[in-house]
Amino acid sequence: MKGRIVSLAAGSQPDSRSATQYRMLSRLFRERLTREMAFSMVSCVHCGACAQACHYALARAHDPCMTPAYKADQIRRMFNRNMNWICRILSGRLNAGTSAADADMERLRDIVFGACTGCRRCTFNCPIGVDNAALIRFTRGILTEMGVVPEGLSNASRNQWLSGNQMSVTEEEFFDSLDWIKAELQYELGVGDLDILVDKKDCDIIYAVNPREIKYDPHSLMNAAKLFYLAGESWTLPRYGWDQTNFGLFSGDDRLGAFMAGNLYRAAERLRARRIVVSECGHGYRSVRWEGYSWANNQQTIPTESVVETVMRYLIEGRIKVDRLRNTGSVTFHDSCNVARYGGLVEEPRWVLKQVCSDFREMYPNGVNNFCCTGGGGLLTMPEYRPLRLEVARIKADQLKVTEADTVCTMCHNCRDGLGDLIDHYQLNMKVVQVMDLVAEALVLPPGNEGNINE
Amino acid sequence: MSEYLRLLEHDIHIAALSFMGLAYAIRAFWLFSFRPVTEKSLPAGHPSRTVASSLFTVARPWTIEKHRRTPVFYAQFVVFHIGAAAAISLTFIIPHWPELLAIEAVVRLMQVTLIAAFVAGMARLYRRLSDPSLRLISTWDDYFALVMMNLFYVLGAWTISNRCGACGWIVLTFFLVAALIHLYVPFSKIVHYLYYPFVRYYLGKAMAHRGIGRYVHPEESSWRNKL
Ligand code: SF4
Ligand code: SF4
Repeated sequence: MKGRIVSLAAGSQPDSRSATQYRMLSRLFRERLTREMAFSMVSCVHCGACAQACHYALARAHDPCMTPAYKADQIRRMFNRNMNWICRILSGRLNAGTSAADADMERLRDIVFGACTGCRRCTFNCPIGVDNAALIRFTRGILTEMGVVPEGLSNASRNQWLSGNQMSVTEEEFFDSLDWIKAELQYELGVGDLDILVDKKDCDIIYAVNPREIKYDPHSLMNAAKLFYLAGESWTLPRYGWDQTNFGLFSGDDRLGAFMAGNLYRAAERLRARRIVVSECGHGYRSVRWEGYSWANNQQTIPTESVVETVMRYLIEGRIKVDRLRNTGSVTFHDSCNVARYGGLVEEPRWVLKQVCSDFREMYPNGVNNFCCTGGGGLLTMPEYRPLRLEVARIKADQLKVTEADTVCTMCHNCRDGLGDLIDHYQLNMKVVQVMDLVAEALVLPPGNEGNINE
Repeated sequence: MSEYLRLLEHDIHIAALSFMGLAYAIRAFWLFSFRPVTEKSLPAGHPSRTVASSLFTVARPWTIEKHRRTPVFYAQFVVFHIGAAAAISLTFIIPHWPELLAIEAVVRLMQVTLIAAFVAGMARLYRRLSDPSLRLISTWDDYFALVMMNLFYVLGAWTISNRCGACGWIVLTFFLVAALIHLYVPFSKIVHYLYYPFVRYYLGKAMAHRGIGRYVHPEESSWRNKL
C-alpha cells in the first residue's frame, strides 16, 4: 500500500494535499484522544526504562529506534505539533514535530505496526505509568483512518466488515464444519445425543469462536463441545456474530471494534443467553470481555468469560471430572498479553493446568510480566514484518528453552501460531498446545462410557 | 546586593511561584478537557488496593523491570528526587526560617543531600549522553532541565555554606536559578511530578477494573462475573 507523506515540520507550509491530511490528523486527534492518553502524551520523562521491558529493544539492543518511548514519541511529536498549546507556542523547541521524525507516514506505519505488538509490557514497566501501548494503538487507528495500513490487516478487517468474520467463512462452510465436528464427537464419545445447536434461544451459554476453529482447526471447537456435553451445559452458537476475534483491536479502529463485539452482544440479547463464553483467543477475550462493551457503548448485563474460566467453574462445581495423569509430559504456560496484562486472567489458567497435567512448571518471567509470543498485535497477518518478528522472538525462545518443558501451553490461538513459528525458527524441541487440548485429554467420561477415544 | 537578594528571595520568588501555579492550573484544565474513558464492562477487581499500589510504584522498585535489573538506576532516581525536594525547601527555609540553618546537623544533611543529588544528576547526564537509545529520545528540554537541576543542587549546597559568608552572589544566583526553574517548569518535562499521580491513578484504575495484578482465589474467581 502506498504511503503518503505529510509535512508536519515545525513552521513549514504544507502543500494542498498534505494540508488536507494535516487537517484530518488534527481532527482525529481532537475526536479520539482520551484524557488517559493525553496524560500519557505529556508525561514521558525520557528515562529509557521501558527499553528494558520491550522484546524488540532487548533483542535489538544496537537499534535505539526499538525503544518504546521512541516509538511513542513519533505520535507524541504530532500531538505536540497539533494539540499541545505550549509546544505550539514554542514550536520545535519542546519535542514538537520535525520533518525528519514525523513527515513520513510510511515510516510511522512500519514503527507502530511492524515494531510493536502492543503487548503493554513497557506500560507496566514505566515508572511514570505512561501507556505507550495505548499510544501506539491510537496511532494505528489514525493511520488506518488515513489508509496507511498493512495489507494483511486491511484485508482481514474488510472481511470482518463484509461477512462478519475475519476469514469470510460462509454460512454453508460454518454448518458443514459443525456437522463434521458433531459426527466426530459422537463417534469419539460413543454417544448419539450430542448436538451442536445454532441460534437456540434461552441457553445458559452463547459460545463464540475464532474463525480458524471453523476453517482450519476444528479441534478447538470439538474440545469445547465435548466439555459442554460432559458438563451437561445448555449452549448454543449464534448463526451470525459467532466470530469473537476483532481486527478493530489491532488496527486501532474502534468502529470495527464496536461492530464486531456488537454482533456478539446483539446475538446474546436476541437469543436471551445468560452468559457469553469465548474460546481461547487472547485478543478475542480482551475485545469481548473488556474493550468491546465500551466500543459498542453497550453496558454489560450478562457475565462474559473465557472458556478457561468456564472449565474452572465446572471443576469447582463438580460438573466435570479430570485425570491429570493423562497429561504426564512437562508443561509450561505462556501468558497471552491480552489475557494477562490486558485481561487480568493469570491465576485461572494455572489453576486449571494444575488439575489437568501432572508436571506443570512456570516459565520466568510470567503472568503480567511475561514476554509476548511476538505474534500479537495482528503481526501474524503482516508477513512483511516476519523477519523482524522472528529476530526479536529470540527473547521468547530463550525463555522457553530454560523451562526444558516438552510442551508450552497457551490460551490464545494467535500465541499458538506465534510460538509455533518461533519454535520452528529456533528449532526448539517443544510443541504448542492450548489449555483446552489438555483439558479435553484429561476429561473423564461417565462410568460405563468408554467412548472410542483410542481409535 | 542585599536589596537584590531580598527582592529575589521574596517578591520574585513569590511571583515565579504564582506564575507556575497559574500555568499548572491552565495545563490541568486543558488536560481535563479531554473526555475520560467510560468503562461499560462490569468490574472484576477491587480498585482501592490496585490504585494505591499504582500510585506508590516509585516506592516499589521491584515492580519495574529496569529498577529490578539495575538497582543503581533506582538509587540515582531516589537521590536525585530527594535532592529536588531539599533544594526547593531551601528556597523557603532561607527567607522564612533561617534559624534552621543555624543548626549544624541540618546544614550538613542539606549539603550531603544536595551534593549526592548533584552527583546522581551528573551520572544521569552522562547516561543520557552516552547511551544511544537515550540520546535518540532525548530532547533539548531533557538536557536543559537536567543541567538546570544540577546547577540548582550545586548552588544550593554552596549557598548553605556561604549563607553567613561574604559570597552573596552565590545566594543570589541560587535564587535566580530557582525563579527560572519555577518559570520554566510548566513548559518542561519537570512538570511530570504534577502529572505522575494522575497517570498512575488512571493506569491503576484501569488495571483494577480488569482485576489485573490481584490474586484471586479460584473459588472467588468464578463469582467475579456475577452480577
Ligand atoms: S515511557 Fe516511561 S519508561 Fe519509557 S522513557 Fe517514558 S517515562 Fe521512561
Ligand atoms: S507494547 Fe510491547 S512491543 Fe510495543 S513497545 Fe511496548 S513493550 Fe515493545
